[in-house]
Amino acid sequence: MALITKEKDCHNTNTLKENSPKSEGPLRESFRTKKNDLPVIALVGMPNSGKTTLFNALTGSNFKTSNYPGATVEYSTGKLIEKYNFKAHILDSPGIVSLNPNSPDEIVTIDGLFNHPRFGLPDVVIVSCDCTQLSRQLFLVKQLIDTGFKTIVALTMNDLLDRKGFEISAEKLSAILKTPVIKINSAKRTGIPELIKITEEIFYDDSTANYKSTIHKLGIPTEEDVALLYDYTEDTERKVIESKTHKIDLDEINKKSFHTLSRTPDKNSLKLDKVFLHPLWGIVIFIISMGLIFTSIFWIAQPMMDIVDTGFSSLSSFVSGILPENSWYRDMITNGLINGFGSVMIFVPQIVILFILLGLLEDTGYLARAAMLIDKPLSKFGLNGRSFIPMLSGYACSIPAIMAARTISNRRERFLTIMIIPLMSCSARLPVYALMLAFIVPPDKPWIAGLGLGALYLFSLLSGAVTAGIISKFKKTDEKSTFMLELPPYRTPVFRNIFKETYYKALVYVKQAGPLIIIFSLVLWALTYFPNVNPEIPETKTQGLSSEQVNRLVESERLSSSYAATIGKNVFEPILKPLGWDWRIGVSLISAFAAREIFVSAMAITFNITENDEDEDNFQRSILTSMRTAKSPDGTKPLFTTASTIALIIYFMFAMQCLSTVAVARKETGSWKVPLLQIGLYSVMAYVLAFITYRGLNILGIQ
Amino acid sequence: MINNNTLEYKKSVADMNIGDSAIITLVGDDCLDIHCHCLRLMELGFTPGQEVTIVAKSPFKDPLAVSVRGTIIALRKGEAECIKINSPTEKPVGKESFRTNGFNN
Repeated sequence: MALITKEKDCHNTNTLKENSPKSEGPLRESFRTKKNDLPVIALVGMPNSGKTTLFNALTGSNFKTSNYPGATVEYSTGKLIEKYNFKAHILDSPGIVSLNPNSPDEIVTIDGLFNHPRFGLPDVVIVSCDCTQLSRQLFLVKQLIDTGFKTIVALTMNDLLDRKGFEISAEKLSAILKTPVIKINSAKRTGIPELIKITEEIFYDDSTANYKSTIHKLGIPTEEDVALLYDYTEDTERKVIESKTHKIDLDEINKKSFHTLSRTPDKNSLKLDKVFLHPLWGIVIFIISMGLIFTSIFWIAQPMMDIVDTGFSSLSSFVSGILPENSWYRDMITNGLINGFGSVMIFVPQIVILFILLGLLEDTGYLARAAMLIDKPLSKFGLNGRSFIPMLSGYACSIPAIMAARTISNRRERFLTIMIIPLMSCSARLPVYALMLAFIVPPDKPWIAGLGLGALYLFSLLSGAVTAGIISKFKKTDEKSTFMLELPPYRTPVFRNIFKETYYKALVYVKQAGPLIIIFSLVLWALTYFPNVNPEIPETKTQGLSSEQVNRLVESERLSSSYAATIGKNVFEPILKPLGWDWRIGVSLISAFAAREIFVSAMAITFNITENDEDEDNFQRSILTSMRTAKSPDGTKPLFTTASTIALIIYFMFAMQCLSTVAVARKETGSWKVPLLQIGLYSVMAYVLAFITYRGLNILGIQ
Repeated sequence: MINNNTLEYKKSVADMNIGDSAIITLVGDDCLDIHCHCLRLMELGFTPGQEVTIVAKSPFKDPLAVSVRGTIIALRKGEAECIKINSPTEKPVGKESFRTNGFNN
């Protein structure tokens, strides 16, 4: 029964759907690498259908069970647990509604199903099917069967159906679908052995040896096709769902109560939504929960970040202790490699905390509601409720934030979200802002600095929204913006799963950003170290100084005669002069391309701070003193004035000072267009706005 | 099945209030926009003959949380307008309406 293979004129296609070609004829199996002799089992299912829990049960890897549609962004693979004596690869994928994709996420999933880069076509497809929403879930099941896959249906949430007073007959469903149907409970591991047994049988079934050549990608269905397919699933639902207590005609129940009892949403969720989506309390709860996430990213992470920082400093001093003094490689390892790795690791605590908290909200089902609440305001700026999570993540780090933007189905909204994420005030800017604010705020009124910091965070949200609004005005589109998001039932989160998922995401961050940051740190190290490796310091200058201070003097001298300084003096100083800055700030800005927070330590070197940075207060005090005494290039007035420091803050708010973000934006958008646009646009914005700020303040009489 | 009399205003899910239930009559009949997402709405389960209920609305009145086939789906008003309904009933047919479940406004 090829209900949905009918083709329709391009009348109904949107641009995204062009990625799902119409019937392509049999897919060749040549993609399948011969290396994988093990059978390949793909898990497919609608969002929240219990697919990932099943994956955990089958692989034992305990990969994350997600409660937010589209959370499994990347395919995860595992091997079948050994106790069943059937070796196979298991592929997990993001939840899909239909085999006709509607978002980049779904395109990846569906392409992966038909042509997985590593595994090719799967040998068997197990589709998880939430039997409390049978008429919806059978839609995908039927599509998979029609496509030609060897499909096994795993019925999940039987206990919930039971609670509603109904029962499903797996035998009847199997007879109707002409494919095996197994009831499972992944948490209690019931039905899993049967599921594996039937998978094995189906895999070794010789009568279907050439079945892969019969698999067809379905064309884009018409609305009639969808309606017909639903007629079929409803008809099937009526035949297989029975009342548990005594036989009643389901139509009778339909009349009595809310259409079909088996189609009533979860009652607790309905009650909770009265509060969480309440016009007033909904907003209050939203603001409180987001405020809590936001503050805990900083308060809880800070001590852990200090530990990471101390760890890397002591590793650095340990290594420099065992390597020969004055050798270039000692400096490369300690200042290039270890510091580079340290600047990758320093953000891990924040990323971990952010993902644990987001995971909690996701698993309880609240995150989808939060996206719904914020959709209207964000849509004013050309964004989408789904942009909210990436934007919030952007306050910790742009890298996971850009990765999280994959769940946005509309390409333009996804583009806009990725565009503005670098404007969100990420945690690497914090040390820079802290130093700059400490410079301009009177020391006896530290609360002004706190207030200023809060204002900077709000302003970054505002500047992001305005930028998105402006870009969306210029970039016209005929792609219609949509927001269709399933609000999953509220559930108690499973902490073990959240921790596993967080671990995985932190690992992705380290792997994605790590190599690039380290390579770039090494390049920067070379630029700031060579050619004057061992500068001569006149004895008169070193008299009475400790060896530590002499070392810092050497470092400073080496830097001021390095390639970076040459570039800074000749290229950057003319450009930066209108902003009231000199080459030393220029060199620090170059160094900060590896990670923004390096700016502070680079300043310490360029401004010849001779204090030990182990003692943080002392370090900041001495860097502030150097900033106060530093003179402008012509030597007539101070370099750091209130105006030039505020201009520096404005510069950091906009400048695309992060190479890892560039790399991730390139990877996630598949082209250099977005990262180059970001570099170009935000560099110009940073420069122009810093210039306007500096000159504007000067005109107002603030130096 | 499809009534092409577009002169007559057809009520849609966007016209419903919180707690209202109605039966879908058709989806995306007068959507001349080639980029409309009616197909996705139908794939999500909004097919003619199904009962829909407004569970909640965002504080900004948009998007709406609509229950269909045992699932709650958030939709923007623009999308909800594609889902045409018979005139919404103040109370669902059965005695089991959410309104009787506490949290009355």
